[in-house]
Amino acid sequence: MNRREFLQLTGAAAAGGALSSCTINPEKLIPLLVPPEDGSIPGVADYYASICRQCPAGCGIIVRVSEGRANKIEGNPLHPVNKGKLCARGQAALQALYHPDRIRQPLKRTGVRGSGEFSPVSWEEGLSLLAEKLKGMKTAGARKGMIFFTPELQGTILQLVKAFTEHFNGMHVPYESLSLESHRKASVDVYGRYELPDYDIGSAQYIISFGADFLETFVSPVRYGDAYGRMRRARPTVRGLFTYAGPRMSMTAASADSWLPVKTGKEGILAAGMAGVILDEELYDGPALNIYGLNVSELKAAMADYPLKRVAEETGLTERDIFSASRDFARLRPSIAIAGDTVAHQTNGIDSIKAVHLLNLLTGNFGKQGGVRFSPKDLKQTASSYSKLLDTIDDMSGGSVRVALFHGVDPVYALPKTSGFEKALGKVPFIASFSSFQCDTTRQADLILPDHTDLESWGEVIPSIGGDIGVVGTVQPVVRPVHNTLAFPDALLSLVKTEGGKVPGISAYGDYPAVLKEHIRQASGHKPGADFERVWTKTLQRGGIFKEDSKPVKSINRSGKFIFTVPRKAVFSGDEKQFPFHLHIYPSAIMFDGRSAHLPWLQETPDPMTTAVWGTWLEINPKTAGSLGITHGDLVEVESPAGSIRVPVVIYPAIRSEVMAMPLGQGHRNFGRYAAGRGVNPLDLLETVVDKENRLPALGATRVRIKRISKKGGLITAGHPDGSYRGELLEI
Amino acid sequence: MSKSKSNYKWGMVIDLDRCTGCSACVVACQAENNVPVVGEERSAEGRMLHWLRIERYWDGEYPHVRARFIPVLCQQCDNAPCEPVCPVYASYQTPEGLNGQVYNRCVGTRYCANNCPWSVRVFNFHEPEWPKPLNDQLNPDVTVRSKGVMEKCTFCIQRINRGKMKAKEEGRLVRDDEIQPACAQTCPPGAIIFGNMADKGSFVFRLSRSSRRFRLLEDLGTEPVVIYLKGGGREGA
Amino acid sequence: MPEEEGLKQKNIQEMNEKMLSSIRPPTGKWVFLAVVLGAITGWAAYAWWVQLSTGLVVAGINRPVMWGFYIINFVFWVGLSHSGTMVSGILRLSKANWRRPILRAAEAMTVFAISVAAMFPLIHIGRTWKAYYLIPLPNSMGLWPNFRSPLLWDLTAINTYILGSSLFLFLGMLPDLAVVRDRSVGIKKKIYTVLAMGWRGTDREWSLYGKASTIMAALIVPVAVSVHSIVSWDFAMTLVPGWHSTIFAPYFVSGAMFSGVAAVITLMVILRKAFHLEHHLREEHFDNMGKLLLVISLVWSYLYFAEVLTIWYGHKPIEWEVFIFTADRYSFLLGLMVLGNAFITIPALCFRRVRRSVTVMLFISILVNVCMFTERFLIIVPPLSHRNVPFMWGNYSPSWVELSITAGALAGFALMYTMFAKFFPIVSLTDVREGLEMKKKLKIGRSTVNARIEGE
Ligand SMILES: Nc1nc2c(c(=O)[nH]1)N[C@H]1C(S)=C(S)[C@@H](COP(=O)(O)OP(=O)(O)OC[C@H]3O[C@@H](n4cnc5c(=O)[nH]c(N)nc54)[C@H](O)[C@@H]3O)O[C@H]1N2
Ligand SMILES: Nc1nc2c(c(=O)[nH]1)N[C@H]1C(S)=C(S)[C@@H](COP(=O)(O)OP(=O)(O)OC[C@H]3O[C@@H](n4cnc5c(=O)[nH]c(N)nc54)[C@H](O)[C@@H]3O)O[C@H]1N2
Ligand code: SF4
Ligand code: SF4
Ligand code: SF4
Ligand code: SF4
Ligand code: SF4
Repeated sequence: MNRREFLQLTGAAAAGGALSSCTINPEKLIPLLVPPEDGSIPGVADYYASICRQCPAGCGIIVRVSEGRANKIEGNPLHPVNKGKLCARGQAALQALYHPDRIRQPLKRTGVRGSGEFSPVSWEEGLSLLAEKLKGMKTAGARKGMIFFTPELQGTILQLVKAFTEHFNGMHVPYESLSLESHRKASVDVYGRYELPDYDIGSAQYIISFGADFLETFVSPVRYGDAYGRMRRARPTVRGLFTYAGPRMSMTAASADSWLPVKTGKEGILAAGMAGVILDEELYDGPALNIYGLNVSELKAAMADYPLKRVAEETGLTERDIFSASRDFARLRPSIAIAGDTVAHQTNGIDSIKAVHLLNLLTGNFGKQGGVRFSPKDLKQTASSYSKLLDTIDDMSGGSVRVALFHGVDPVYALPKTSGFEKALGKVPFIASFSSFQCDTTRQADLILPDHTDLESWGEVIPSIGGDIGVVGTVQPVVRPVHNTLAFPDALLSLVKTEGGKVPGISAYGDYPAVLKEHIRQASGHKPGADFERVWTKTLQRGGIFKEDSKPVKSINRSGKFIFTVPRKAVFSGDEKQFPFHLHIYPSAIMFDGRSAHLPWLQETPDPMTTAVWGTWLEINPKTAGSLGITHGDLVEVESPAGSIRVPVVIYPAIRSEVMAMPLGQGHRNFGRYAAGRGVNPLDLLETVVDKENRLPALGATRVRIKRISKKGGLITAGHPDGSYRGELLEI
Repeated sequence: MSKSKSNYKWGMVIDLDRCTGCSACVVACQAENNVPVVGEERSAEGRMLHWLRIERYWDGEYPHVRARFIPVLCQQCDNAPCEPVCPVYASYQTPEGLNGQVYNRCVGTRYCANNCPWSVRVFNFHEPEWPKPLNDQLNPDVTVRSKGVMEKCTFCIQRINRGKMKAKEEGRLVRDDEIQPACAQTCPPGAIIFGNMADKGSFVFRLSRSSRRFRLLEDLGTEPVVIYLKGGGREGA
Repeated sequence: MPEEEGLKQKNIQEMNEKMLSSIRPPTGKWVFLAVVLGAITGWAAYAWWVQLSTGLVVAGINRPVMWGFYIINFVFWVGLSHSGTMVSGILRLSKANWRRPILRAAEAMTVFAISVAAMFPLIHIGRTWKAYYLIPLPNSMGLWPNFRSPLLWDLTAINTYILGSSLFLFLGMLPDLAVVRDRSVGIKKKIYTVLAMGWRGTDREWSLYGKASTIMAALIVPVAVSVHSIVSWDFAMTLVPGWHSTIFAPYFVSGAMFSGVAAVITLMVILRKAFHLEHHLREEHFDNMGKLLLVISLVWSYLYFAEVLTIWYGHKPIEWEVFIFTADRYSFLLGLMVLGNAFITIPALCFRRVRRSVTVMLFISILVNVCMFTERFLIIVPPLSHRNVPFMWGNYSPSWVELSITAGALAGFALMYTMFAKFFPIVSLTDVREGLEMKKKLKIGRSTVNARIEGE
């Protein structure tokens, strides 16, 4: 065989091998990798209905439990608020139950305050320690000797807390960091209603949002997320349109058909300007205005100083854009105008919200399908009052407060540093917390009496938006308590009992589950007995009482007349020359106001707009960044009249050039291993009160300046910074 | 693999006009499928394990800028390029048109990950950690993967199997809407629709015929079964 | 005549002596070298152990760059292994006589390089302890590896190559082993006796030996070509933009020969110095190797140009993006590669003086291999960094573990080589003497020169 023959032979052999390998059927080779048709899956799971309490929306959940362990939270399809869907925070709530850094038993402080040195005590010991401290309160006759801080509460828990504080001569201070105070005030003025309106987005043809991030954080994001999907694509011939007005394109704004980048604090002017156009073009609903008690000529007179040209100048938009948005709003009915958190948190927030509501009235959207709706009964919740909270801080500093109790709130974290809350708290001789986690406030406590987490508790939740659906959701334990904790209401009841006291209308029923059951019986209108037992079981199975037959209100029933004025100028903390940029603080789509920051799933979920994880950031317009010599990921110092913080920069192409944005949610000093010491808290830059006449929280009323510090900001984004601009490579 | 005689051919439609980028699906998937959290340091290194991600693309310049969201998960390609390259058949095509992943077969060559144009395959660079008692949340239906193996979206195969088993017990086929993967189940605007493409009456099949339909990287010819519906309206998209 | 015969005999004795000098008992210097190399290899082994116990998190790879330094090393070492094949196989077949003194060294290099290369897939995979899944072992599940996967082709090809090149090396060494056997005593003698397989040097043995050598040479060349084609197909068979290209197989083969020949030149310089082989490895040899390197460099450059031209002209967005990204992010490495592999090497090697300068040739040969390592980096990392989905673009830089193992591979290779040289004749006695028996005119490349092996 010569060389050439040999090569030919090897070549032929190789070719043969390659051909034969193609004919092998891989499925035949791997019979056991494909699961057999009748393969088995371990275990049968149980499902328990309850309510998500990660935000006030109160969505219904179903928890899957196998072998005594909760494995997955799903939406409750029967619940009218969320119809089986959940947001990211709702999905992650499971991790609060099994969080490795939960407080596992009552703790007594051993080190100095804030050192985090605690030692375990028994429940008897813990409760009697608190009882002892409270004993004095009742007899001392000191007003406000005890203060009880909670979130806004409803139902039986509210009754309990109220009775408890009264019993001990204390004061109940409800607090929400994303306060709805301005919304409520505006709602009372415009509609004569205390509760917030529900927006029937699903049936609307046109929506304009003024800073309302209703798809991520605003009031009831899952409810509105579901409605948004229907608005876009559930009707065969109509695709609803959506416009967003705000200085920063939020996640919600990203879904809008058009974005109006209005200047900070000018949203109300824009709304008023649009009202002006509708009045001038006579696109309003005349008969409706009569019913609402509004007069066209008066309204026109109120707008006299604000021709379209001036509105355009003030808002930084073009006349054409304002005009076409106004025309669309008036013509594409039913339409809805919504004002949101970033508008409410300006010093002219109430005015602006009213201006936005005027739009709804002008086009007769009240009580209509696809419009603004209220439930038959005004749900008077305990509203938080910022002003009252600030007075409390004075009381604490003054030394008149002897006991401070905390449940479900973390004011040390959630109030601006300048409020002096932490310092004032230091003056309080005894602090007790019912928290399940060592949040920044609980860290200061002398005694911790840990509550069950939501999935181990009983309770009821009236959703923040009941609208026309009249819902009471029931919370039930889905697993046995994981740790040695005690239900908060039972702790209160036992404290009252040791005092020999009674809580009117509650003590008679013994423990809290019995109280709840009785409350639900009354709400459902059943007599006690076997009949109700069935209803009770059914209610728990369904996850609440859902009266879907109730009719929405059609008419406005307010005490006085709604007098419309163009919103006054917003005031800002910080001089424009020294502090050239507006600081735009918004609740994070993933972390909300920070109460979910301890959940690792959420920490690692990329922020939808910046794709950032595990931290905070500052969003800057690319042109501004360029002029300041700042690039993506740089560390900068943000300085306001009230303080300064350091954060990494995200170059954000959808924000006004004079605005810089930061999310709420991080910057906890404590709160478990996943949140502690992570990122910064933008509240550190705020003054407690910006507008002296109007003691309301103002997240959006601060001016800042920035300085580049270094290249290493420690920013982590899931998306590649350059690749994020190269969507065209995907041909989408 | 069209020669399969199965009654089922699982498919998905994602309506980008509904998707708001809210990321509920991302967490739902992580919760359902025991997808570990990797922590800050490892996230920074690009080692996050999400089976589903929301891609956000910027388009245009201020003020005419748009942000687009597109949820990307395994496209369950009919002609999956990740399959033939796997030397051990850990990545394979099931008779119902899924791209299966056999964790205990995988040796971790990461070849499949290179050859998946969507980069949806994630690799366990280290042993997953669930500090106690966080491990109690693990879904018993889903294997916990060890270090050194590849993983990715399975279309929630454990839910498919449960659904099929129930249907079989009752002597029928799986009904439309009976099986929902975790991501579709939670999606507030209902952007994700899952179902049986072999059933020409199913909602998912009818949606998949929409004129707005397109597939990501369609020109690569891998025949993805995840079908996207274009978003946008007045301004076009 | 008897006198002449006697002289020849004496020369042969001397020559044997000289050529076998390497297997004299180890000197202090040798021990020092071996310890240093051993320490580096040991450090690399420790790094690997760290990786095995904590996972690949200690390497720099990530999503989307799932392949990194290990695969770069793999391709690089497979490339180096083409040294022996080239010199032995091709030059043997083409009866180029000047090959003789470097034959053994080059063949040994092949065996060690491919062995080092074969380690890398094991280091690279996530579950090294399950590597046997890749081997077609009969099992009750009826489960076989997937022969559609280029990795299985790889496994087959690499194993064939290891087997083939070892046999090739061993076969060529048989007569020399017999010489060593005859000159050693004690336990060593026993070992060499086994290794020499009873070689006595009869005519029949010599004639069989000749035939077997030729067949092996003919066999090893297609294996070598297929090995590197298959390595290229690990990349070319995928959809990765920048990898999916028909030119990859010849391009990789040319690249492998390029680095292989360059490595042989480096080796020639080292052997020449270490074993005082100035008489055997002369300027003509460097001249010829230089010409060979020039030709391969031209081929490599042409193929690279063709590849880039196609990408540029086609301008497919994602492929062009990958190229632009490479040129932007890795401009230094890209520049180095193009300069070292083409713009410096080609013009320089055109000059006879350059080719005949041992120092310059050493520099060029090392440069080529540095550039070829860079080339592998540029082939593997940038396309993976910028794949089809821009949102998932990323970056890669090697970690200390990957760098340690890379250094360890080089050290381990050198260690194996040093050991080999200590225990086996590193210069092929047989071949040199065969050359000696031949006519006094030697054909070196296309020119005929006076054979000077005898005289001087
Ligand atoms: N994943 C997986 N599942 C399997 C199998 C598998 O191979 N893999 N195999 C299947 C087979 S073949 C079988 S037989 C089953 C076995 O399934 P099981 O019967 O559940 O067996 P084990 O888990 O071995 O043991 C059950 C419990 O008995 C306790 N135990 C031990 N000694 C005693 C004793 O003296 N008294 C009492 N009261 N308790 C004791 C053990 O601590 C353990 O908690 O599993 C089946 N399931
Ligand atoms: N240490 C320890 N030892 C135990 C036990 C324990 O709990 N601990 N449990 C004991 C008990 S209860 C049992 S039942 C035994 C089980 O012991 P074995 O019967 O040895 O069971 P396995 O190891 O599960 O699997 C046996 C083999 O069957 C193969 N196989 C799977 N499917 C098929 C098929 O369809 N066809 C064929 N031909 N082969 C198949 C698998 O690949 C495997 O190699 O172990 C006993 N030994
Ligand atoms: S909107 Fe609020 S209540 Fe509803 S799921 Fe999300 S966090 Fe829970
Ligand atoms: S999307 Fe990627 S992982 Fe999924 S089947 Fe296709 S190639 Fe495979
Ligand atoms: S990583 Fe696992 S699944 Fe992927 S190709 Fe390698 S062995 Fe197969
Ligand atoms: S189908 Fe299941 S596995 Fe796939 S992305 Fe959705 S939730 Fe995750
Ligand atoms: S849950 Fe739905 S809307 Fe939200 S990001 Fe996922 S697909 Fe989009």
